Amino acid sequence: MKPVIHIIKKEVLETLRDKRTMMTMIVIPILLFPVILSLMFKTTQYFSEEANNKMLTIAFDVEDLEHPIIQNLMQVASEDSLINMKPVIVFSETKALIQQDSIQAAVFINQEQAAGIEAVVWHDGTKVDLMDRITKNIDKAKQMATNKQLEQLEIKPKDVSGFEYQMMSTASTQETIGKLAGGFLPYVFIAFAFLGCMYPSIDLFTGEKERGTIETLLTAPIPRWQILFGKMAVVVLSGLLAASLSLVGLYISIRGLNIVEDPELLGIINSILSPKFIITLFVLQIPLTIFIAGILIPLAIYSKSFKEAQSVITPLNIVIILPAVIGFLPGIELNATTAMIPIVNIVLATKELVAGTLNYGHLMISALVMCLIAAVAVFVSYKQFEKETNVLM
Amino acid sequence: MIEVKNLSKTFELSRKQRKELNTTETEFKALQNVSFTCHPGRVFSLLGPNGAGKTTTLRTIGGILKPTSGSVVVSGIDLEKNPNEARKKIGFLTGSTGLYGRLTPNELIAYFAGLYGMDKTTMELRKKWLFDLLDMNFYANKQIGKLSTGMKQKVSICRTMIHDPDVLVFDEPTSGLDVISAEAIINLVRSCKEQNKTVIFSSHIMSEVELLCDDLAIIHKGKIIEQSSFQDFKNSAPNQSLTERFIEIIKKSEEA
Repeated sequence: MKPVIHIIKKEVLETLRDKRTMMTMIVIPILLFPVILSLMFKTTQYFSEEANNKMLTIAFDVEDLEHPIIQNLMQVASEDSLINMKPVIVFSETKALIQQDSIQAAVFINQEQAAGIEAVVWHDGTKVDLMDRITKNIDKAKQMATNKQLEQLEIKPKDVSGFEYQMMSTASTQETIGKLAGGFLPYVFIAFAFLGCMYPSIDLFTGEKERGTIETLLTAPIPRWQILFGKMAVVVLSGLLAASLSLVGLYISIRGLNIVEDPELLGIINSILSPKFIITLFVLQIPLTIFIAGILIPLAIYSKSFKEAQSVITPLNIVIILPAVIGFLPGIELNATTAMIPIVNIVLATKELVAGTLNYGHLMISALVMCLIAAVAVFVSYKQFEKETNVLM
Repeated sequence: MIEVKNLSKTFELSRKQRKELNTTETEFKALQNVSFTCHPGRVFSLLGPNGAGKTTTLRTIGGILKPTSGSVVVSGIDLEKNPNEARKKIGFLTGSTGLYGRLTPNELIAYFAGLYGMDKTTMELRKKWLFDLLDMNFYANKQIGKLSTGMKQKVSICRTMIHDPDVLVFDEPTSGLDVISAEAIINLVRSCKEQNKTVIFSSHIMSEVELLCDDLAIIHKGKIIEQSSFQDFKNSAPNQSLTERFIEIIKKSEEA
């Protein structure tokens, strides 16, 4: 084992001096989420505030001025300084005015009342925030109309409230979060484990061939498998580091940027992040990263140049990450069958882990399947590395 | 000492390679029953045109390629039976040898010394001696990628010699080097000879061969077609230059 450790030390030193690998292994995983989430958060907040503070101009046909619906809307507008009711003479032009954002909605009184519809509200459906405000104010006017009708019938509106109800979920809040949002976590670490393994595998195998250093290394008095294991260990370590740091980046985003404002939700997130959770998550990443390294290394060994390796490996990114999308699909759970499907099993196990519903029997099957496939991947790498025509240019 | 006996090496040809070589053969015989002996304190030159099998022979001696048949014995150790022990006796240098650009000469030499199983004290003493000899101390801690070609070549020499090998294998060691860097290699070969080491080297440059060679073999299409001491080779055609004699032997072999 001494030569393997000796090779690992040298490869780590060289990898740490490679700016490109450092970027993909450390800088991007740590900074990506804080930067992206911060930008997303700030942009959403800006547009939401802009939509809420924007003057809402609702147009209506001047001929409908005395209609009760318009009258009720006028009353709503009089109570809200950000709503302006605008009578128009040529009503057919309102659609164009909405598209130009000169007005935000137009109320058209349906004189024929086809299908019982009394009014049609034109609006731009792409402006979601504005649509919410328009709906809210139209509903207010509608409620006013209902109340007036009830008063005419001498019925107090509070007496016709129907019934109140409360939904109670059998799932805990943690379970709900886990099942709905837990799929995001494996997607993140699979993507970064791949990225973390990619450059070191190309640099340590194809790069060594391209630079002509492999020939010298092969004259050293150590078996070839020790060279392979030493290099492979560094590729796996890089993948694990990138995956782990991406999760650290995600954690920094949640805590540092105060993205989660709800204290109850924050409390649940904190309770999920127990040492047991972190250790299990890390353990899940090990066979996954060995598996990824085991796929990338034979391709890197086979490739004759850095460029060729990149063009062969990059499309593989999609193949590896695609199963991670299953984590986002509702209703698919970890069971004896899904535990047998590589990558999908890790994705679902992580989801269950976040939800706090992880079945350790299924976890064992998942880990065994991944270890088995990782062993096959290592064996394939070994066979490729043993081939003289692959290793030498 | 290097004893090469009936060495053969066959490469399987892929479909792509068959197409490129315009052949229907499924394999390529790179070496066929190659035999020669290199003695300590003498420099053995392996000559041949491009694609003759020089690099394959030297890579097999260096333990990089496995022979299809035949044997290589290095300092009494059979390379196939005991590859790691045999490799410890060999120093291998080629003209196209790459170095790890992100390491310093100090780190690179320590790395290879470690791979050769040297202990730290021995390595430090040997490294100091080599660095002093090659005047490498002033750039010992600079990254190799930032060094000049000549400096890099000295690092390569140091890497080849760090474990004090009995046998030195040089595959076109001066190819692509300027005169000054090539001179360092020539001096190294001479110094190895003086230290009673076994040296085998391949080259295209006949002036170098004339300068260094004690024994020679000419290889063509994977077969040894001429083998003798350098003096006998020269005496066999005193009116011809080394290059003329070499071309004549190759042509004769083609006609046969």
